[in-house]
Amino acid sequence: MLDFLQAVSDGLLFGATYALIGIGFTLVFGVMHKLNLAYAAASIGAAYAGLLILQVAAGAPPWAVFLCAFLGGGVIGWLVYLTCFHFIPLSNPLAPLMSTVGMLLLIDEIIVHVTAGMPQNYPAMFDDVMLRVGEFTLRGDLLLVAGVSVVCMIALLALVYRTRLGLATRAVSQQPVAAQLCGIRVAQVNAMTFIVTGLLGGIAGALIGASVGALSPLLTTPLTVKGLIVTVIGGLGSIPGAIVAGLLVGAFENVFQQFRGVTERDLYVMLLLFAFLVFRPSGLFKP
Amino acid sequence: MDFYYGLAQTVGIHTLLGLSAYIVLLTGQVTMAQAAFFAIGAYAAGMLTVLGGWHIVPALGAGAVFGAATACAVGFPALRVKGLMLVVATLAFGEGVRLFFFNFDYQVAKGEIKVGPLGGEGFRQIRYFQEHGWSTGEVMLFIWVFVILSMAALWWFDRSRYGAVLRAVGEDELAAQSVGVNLTAVKVSAMTVGGAVAGIGGGLYAHYTTHIEHANFNVLLATFAIAYPIVGGLKNVFGTLAAVIFVQAFLIEGLRFLGDWRNLLFGALIVAAMNLRPQGFLGGRRA
Repeated sequence: MLDFLQAVSDGLLFGATYALIGIGFTLVFGVMHKLNLAYAAASIGAAYAGLLILQVAAGAPPWAVFLCAFLGGGVIGWLVYLTCFHFIPLSNPLAPLMSTVGMLLLIDEIIVHVTAGMPQNYPAMFDDVMLRVGEFTLRGDLLLVAGVSVVCMIALLALVYRTRLGLATRAVSQQPVAAQLCGIRVAQVNAMTFIVTGLLGGIAGALIGASVGALSPLLTTPLTVKGLIVTVIGGLGSIPGAIVAGLLVGAFENVFQQFRGVTERDLYVMLLLFAFLVFRPSGLFKP
Repeated sequence: MDFYYGLAQTVGIHTLLGLSAYIVLLTGQVTMAQAAFFAIGAYAAGMLTVLGGWHIVPALGAGAVFGAATACAVGFPALRVKGLMLVVATLAFGEGVRLFFFNFDYQVAKGEIKVGPLGGEGFRQIRYFQEHGWSTGEVMLFIWVFVILSMAALWWFDRSRYGAVLRAVGEDELAAQSVGVNLTAVKVSAMTVGGAVAGIGGGLYAHYTTHIEHANFNVLLATFAIAYPIVGGLKNVFGTLAAVIFVQAFLIEGLRFLGDWRNLLFGALIVAAMNLRPQGFLGGRRA
């Protein structure tokens, strides 16, 4: 029983990163009704960009790496928008899907090319801290992951529901034509959405790097699949849904990893997804 | 000369894979499950020739039947959800099948060695062509007979009433439904035909490489399957063939002299192709 609770709590803490990735997919889908398949790769790419600061200033503190990943994520997000969405007509659903796949491969290959395919160590914060609550232990670095994720989510919700940009974003997502008639620059809002999700992705990538301890381009495909699963379970376009589903998937996979081993773990996550598709196809929260 | 025969074999097999996604894309559905049907065809045909001692043609037929049956079974629940949900559902299904073969053992002693699929080790010794003394050229002709037959069949489907119905569903589901088209029947039948074509392709692939393992049938292969028809355009089957030649012969073999840089160019060229011709190489005015 204790093992089970421990697995759940570790999974919930790590699931926070899935929630962030899921939010990125869901936001872009909500605003543009398009899938940005390059998102998880861009997030990992941003985490690598964070490592660049160590090249410039050796011995930079971990928070500087995180900040650099955050900003790098924004830049990469904007580039993805520019190369994969901006010049392709909105009415074409297949072309951006394919161009983001091309981008995914490109980002992967840039990473492999620059790092010669070697996994890179990632700086962690509080990795030597262990909180003990009775017989429980909570890893300090995972607590940091969850804490930063929660702060990001609150900031994002505030951005979407309390600012003019958020208002414009929601307007475009509901009625693009009407929003345009009201004088909202749709292309600009779309670009801003990509920058915001890119910033989030940068944080998520850095957090994943910090909690896994190393970064490798092999992380991108599983992360893309997990992010998409989280998005669907939460309900396409729903931010609270992505958060809850991210935590759910994180806990669920960690429990099965504990009891059934790492090779079977993802099989159960797929089964969870299918259960949702059959019994609740619109996801946890209908947007 | 053998090099070009080998290249022609690869192009043929990938054309079959692309065609299997082509017919599903005509109905406006994006499926990431083609790699799974391809895997099922590969394992089924391979097991029948190696373990069952069948001739290759009926084994390929059985592979097609298995692929079609799975596609039909997946089609019913998966097509309840549509659009981007389907991408995720089929993606998860594809990963599920891959993980199934990752954990799938069925070995039989044959002479001194044990043959058959062995989990992560894969399925070795699918040596039908070698045991029966087929030359590379003959194997290539054999593969292309199936490619040409499939292309002709799909070309004919396209020209017939069935093709018109498929495209009607792809253009506007609501309009198609209002003139009495049964959406579920059309989509599931397209999925079934696609599954059969992918099954044949997979069976040929297994015998051409002689060694298959779960990692061959990953998300990347599924992405390639939909990439060919999208990059080539959905106007007719030749678009898919053109895209396969572009990707396999030009991007992968033709640019080999670039060494490491080829991989970088690969993603970038797909992004560029989608920006320049969002409707595909041979696409009409609208996708």
